[in-house]
Amino acid sequence: MTETVDARRVEDRVTLGALFVGFLKVSLLGFGGGLVWARRIAVERQRWVDDQEFAEILTLCQFMPGPNIVGITICVGSRLRGPVGAVAAVAGFILIPWTVGLAFGSLCLHYAYLPILQNILGGLSSAAAGLMIATGIRLLMPHRSRQTALLFAALAFTGMVVAKLPLLVVLLGLAPLSIAVAGITSARARTL
Amino acid sequence: MKDPTASLVLAAHLALLSSISFGGFPTVLPDVRNLVTANGWATDQEFANFFAISQVVPGPNMILMMSFVGLKVGGILGAITSALATFGPPCLMYYTSYRLWDRFRDRPWQQIVRRGLAPLTIGLVIAGGYVMARAADIGWQRALVTAVAIGMMLGTRLNPLWILAAGGVLGGLGFV
Repeated sequence: MTETVDARRVEDRVTLGALFVGFLKVSLLGFGGGLVWARRIAVERQRWVDDQEFAEILTLCQFMPGPNIVGITICVGSRLRGPVGAVAAVAGFILIPWTVGLAFGSLCLHYAYLPILQNILGGLSSAAAGLMIATGIRLLMPHRSRQTALLFAALAFTGMVVAKLPLLVVLLGLAPLSIAVAGITSARARTL
Repeated sequence: MKDPTASLVLAAHLALLSSISFGGFPTVLPDVRNLVTANGWATDQEFANFFAISQVVPGPNMILMMSFVGLKVGGILGAITSALATFGPPCLMYYTSYRLWDRFRDRPWQQIVRRGLAPLTIGLVIAGGYVMARAADIGWQRALVTAVAIGMMLGTRLNPLWILAAGGVLGGLGFV
């Protein structure tokens, strides 16, 4: 119970400005791996939430559509200061980095016809595509013992890449099946 | 090319996609690419450039990438509407669902839904990466960069920034 009291006291001190700056840092530091910095700042440095709460928020965000890291920003902001807190945290995360990134990016794109820049961008996007595939493979590892999970991952991949179906069709087509199979297997696991 | 109708079509499409982008925005990349190239808003090459640049600047990568598409389609207003369409709907959903979180935390159905959706999400993330690799890997050298990047990301604890930088340097030196 004392922990709850302590947590409340921390919340009272958190200003909207602190949320803005905190998530501005998460955004600016988080090349490629924003999650690492979100935890470091929200849990370790500022102690806005504890580890368990952070893990819960992360699960919720993975379960929702959209950029997970924005979701973490919203949840932590609203946990500390309600709706205005969520707005302050998201503004910190997006406003300045977006403006800087758009300016820098459009400058690069303006010169994208230059062969050297074209080559750099080409090498970069090949590497970036690899990182994304690797992230998917990492996420798949905890499910590798469930054959039905591997099947549905493969079906989603095939629907998107081979059949070139729209995302909505792939999701609406496969989600009910996949959820039904998960329900049946977990019911069977319980009866055994 | 600065067509306000095109910006609105793009924004509406992005708003829909961001609302169903389970597993993050990379899952909807193939869909966005189809829309963009089918309408002639950007070439495959330009789309790959947007992806590459958004990956090397810090901050909200996918929001930024969609803003580059918006910038191409409708100038600065197009960039702003694309950004809003990309993060606006998910923000509202995150906020609402966080408030409901406590109520449904331990329900078994929630765990079943999560177990069912997770593989689809993952398949879509890999599909997103694969489609970007197909666009970017114009030769076996580039495909090798992608393959090595996958290996390094899975096999080492190296900061991904270094892997990206290595890809850019190899490209700049004309090796790939």
